[in-house]
Amino acid sequence: MTKPAVVLIGGDKGGVGKTTVARTLLDYFVRQQLRVRAFDTEVPRGTLKRFHPDVTDVVDINHVPDQMRIFDTVNSTDATVSLIDVRAGLLSPTLHALRNIGFIDAAKKGDITFVLFHILGPSIASLDEIVDTAAYLGDAKYFMVKNFINNTYFFEWDEATHAAYFKRIPGAVGITIPKLVEMAAEQVDLASVPFATFIANKKQSGAAASYSFVLRGYVRHWLETISAEYDRVRLIDILEANESSRPPIGRPRPIIKVAET
Amino acid sequence: MGPRLDAAKISRGQAHHVMTDKTTPLYVVCSPCRHVGKTLVSRLLTEFHVVNDQPVAAFDLADEGPQLADYLPEVTTIADISDTHGQMAFFDRLIADDVGARIIDLDRRVFNNFFTVAQKIRFFEEARHRSIEPLILFITDPDPKSAKAYAVLRNQLSQASLLPVRNQIEAADVPYGDAPSKVNRAPTSLDIPLLGFPLRALMDRQSFSFSQLWRGSPTDLPVSANHELSCWVECIFFQFRLLELLLGCA
Repeated sequence: MTKPAVVLIGGDKGGVGKTTVARTLLDYFVRQQLRVRAFDTEVPRGTLKRFHPDVTDVVDINHVPDQMRIFDTVNSTDATVSLIDVRAGLLSPTLHALRNIGFIDAAKKGDITFVLFHILGPSIASLDEIVDTAAYLGDAKYFMVKNFINNTYFFEWDEATHAAYFKRIPGAVGITIPKLVEMAAEQVDLASVPFATFIANKKQSGAAASYSFVLRGYVRHWLETISAEYDRVRLIDILEANESSRPPIGRPRPIIKVAET
Repeated sequence: MGPRLDAAKISRGQAHHVMTDKTTPLYVVCSPCRHVGKTLVSRLLTEFHVVNDQPVAAFDLADEGPQLADYLPEVTTIADISDTHGQMAFFDRLIADDVGARIIDLDRRVFNNFFTVAQKIRFFEEARHRSIEPLILFITDPDPKSAKAYAVLRNQLSQASLLPVRNQIEAADVPYGDAPSKVNRAPTSLDIPLLGFPLRALMDRQSFSFSQLWRGSPTDLPVSANHELSCWVECIFFQFRLLELLLGCA
């Protein structure tokens, strides 16, 4: 039987595209026919919920009843994956809370698959975030996501510094999200639909829409590139790990090797 | 194997035609080189549809005159695909339902950008889905970059037919056997025959109209010259007609 999986998307800086990455992941999971539920921590009105209202609940991650709503139901829900879009500034407190409630330990024991998508900004401050985050990771699968929301270059001014930070988390894998043509991003935003729905030229209601063919083409190309990234890091294999593959207590879990290009 | 109008692709077009009975052609007249006769071929194609009373929309992606819009302003739209806004205006209009035959005069400067964007947004695939049959008319030239560009297109285009055009007016000194090796053994091509210099000069006038000539409007040409030009146009229009039949658009 497949273990329940929790996918956390966060970053301590605002405006780095966390919700955009969460949206691409939801589209990817749907395409892979994975049952998924999502939690949007932008209370009271979530952005993720605007795009994926059917599977998303808005929660206050600092609020204990909401924490119970998410984590106490991980094993009982029909969804294989629980995706949590953590709003800016709350990644470290959320990880802290997860450690306190024993979630990190449960992941260590192999009861739960825990995947973290850490969305990095282009500044050195994001590298410091990596160090802070690493302290909580335990046995999580850690993806460092460079999200090119604009034409910024990531740390290219100092590769050595970049590499030094990456070394601190040996299992970390880099994922690159390319920039989407601005006008296409704006139109999807205006349409308030999942990327896949925009590509299919449909409204949230399922009715036919009249989005630009060119913009739909750009979104499709962009989403396919991102899906290829998720394929490359074998995200589905990670999320569909079986309970039977859980290692005996006291032995280290095998490390999933991910080929980087 | 030399370039050709791919038989398999044409068959698909015919099959599609049978299903929908409303297939319309989309011609992309292109070359990565200058002064090879792109605008001349585009003019001829556009006027071929005009004389046959077929709806036609021409798109001018040139940025240096004289350009298609100078010759046929009534049916030509000037397009600029350098930014997303321009690409939307251009490609979205191309796949609109009510346009008729589409003819694109593709300037060498936008050659790469056009095919890059078209491939990225899967333009040709969408066109076929909408019963629009794309045909790339690639004007060959002795310049090595012409053969290179042709080879790239041939390898990358899976949803559009590709046909070399031998324009003997602009490359009269290049006999068939001397054309680039990838381009010269084509069993099928569109041939623009030689034409005397005075008649070329006449055609280059912006006031000149192939459709008026075709319809027998009086010209100030001597009878023999008028006959030569008419035969030249007829030869080309005959090839266009064959192309229409092959594409399933007739």
